[in-house]
Amino acid sequence: MPATSAPEPIVRLVQEFTKLPGIGPKSAQRLAYHVLRAPEDDALALARALGDVKRRIVFCGTCFNITERDPCAFCTSDQRDRTLICAVEQPLDVLVVERTGGYRGLYHVLHGSLNPIEGVGPEQLRIGELVQRVEAGGIAEIIMATNPSLEGEATSMYLQRLLQPLGVRVTRLARGLPSGADIEYMDDLTLSRALEGRQDL
Amino acid sequence: MAARPRVYRAEGIVLRRRNLGEADSILTVFSEGEGKFEAIARSVRKARSRMRGHLEPLTRSRLLVARGRNLDVFTQAETVSAYRGVREDLDASAEALYCLELVDRFLEERQPLPAIYALLVAALEAIEEGGGASVTRHFELRLLSLLGYEPQIDGCAVCGGRLPEEPALLSPVTGGLVCSSCRPDAGGGRTVSVAVIKLLRFARRVDAPAFAALRMPPDRARELQAALAELVRYHLERELNASRFVEGVGALERRA
Repeated sequence: MPATSAPEPIVRLVQEFTKLPGIGPKSAQRLAYHVLRAPEDDALALARALGDVKRRIVFCGTCFNITERDPCAFCTSDQRDRTLICAVEQPLDVLVVERTGGYRGLYHVLHGSLNPIEGVGPEQLRIGELVQRVEAGGIAEIIMATNPSLEGEATSMYLQRLLQPLGVRVTRLARGLPSGADIEYMDDLTLSRALEGRQDL
Repeated sequence: MAARPRVYRAEGIVLRRRNLGEADSILTVFSEGEGKFEAIARSVRKARSRMRGHLEPLTRSRLLVARGRNLDVFTQAETVSAYRGVREDLDASAEALYCLELVDRFLEERQPLPAIYALLVAALEAIEEGGGASVTRHFELRLLSLLGYEPQIDGCAVCGGRLPEEPALLSPVTGGLVCSSCRPDAGGGRTVSVAVIKLLRFARRVDAPAFAALRMPPDRARELQAALAELVRYHLERELNASRFVEGVGALERRA
């Protein structure tokens, strides 16, 4: 090893940081030297948190949300409406829907959306598992809460075609203007849907 | 050398989007004046982005683009058409995405190809009008022609002789239909029926809506689809990702 390069543990830490999304070699170096200067307790807490995330977090075998216990708290709760499933793309979306406080049903995390051009098909998502849940019975409505993007819409329509024959009601979130938006910059699609979905004041 | 203007206008169709960092996206656009190009849309994944709805894949937009050191940057975007009728129909979406992927895979960057742009716009409009898979077949054949891969379908591609009214071999290697006596020299291919040969000739003559208006029995549509898919595969040297989606969506429809 040339004398000018950093000690091996530092080099290794820099390399590990570089693997994180959005972290280039310079940022990785800065982070590594920050860890070096930080109190040992902080560094060990970080290491423990990293280990726990990988060891203790699993996917719920029913809804595929992230959880410490399988089945997860949503799927085992008797406080929730078990005839209602809200299908979302990512585990983070569950938190966001929960935060509204207005939903009391169950969830299903698809882990992505159909992207035909990039080659992401139904078999890469948790679509088959959602069909199984509906086939098992007791579900009255599936709420499609996928992103209002081309891929999200395609996913919703695909699931609708898959689930409708099973006699379940398939709905999707309304589309309209986000709060704080400028009508001037609104795209035609959103605006025309907002106009169709207008409500009495 | 005169300095190039720092911004330029382009009207184009967003072919695909991939995410970059926290809130940016890199979009591939096929535009009338610039050809296919990539540029960055900054902060477009934030809820308050003013360009967000105008830069979705499968949107035709008027764009203002600033030249960057590596990648150019979108500074303004305004929808010309969001092809709502396509977006809200699963089968139409699948057909349209297949056409977008064809364009993306076949075209080199920064080559203005206005005829192909017009063809794509016409195809998306025809799909929007409910033209279905026939529009895609018409688009495939015309795209191959405009790219210089027009299959020889009037006479034998090997000897140039007249083709009798019987099934013939469509051979990608020789670039077209091959008569029965030249068959051994053709290097493989797929035998196509007289009906499909006539469909190919008809598609060459008329525009997408006229071709889509033609009633086709399902097995003939499948034969035409397989024949054109083979030409596409030969020239592209790969399968299209979207073709699996088109198939999957069609299979669900038949099951339902």
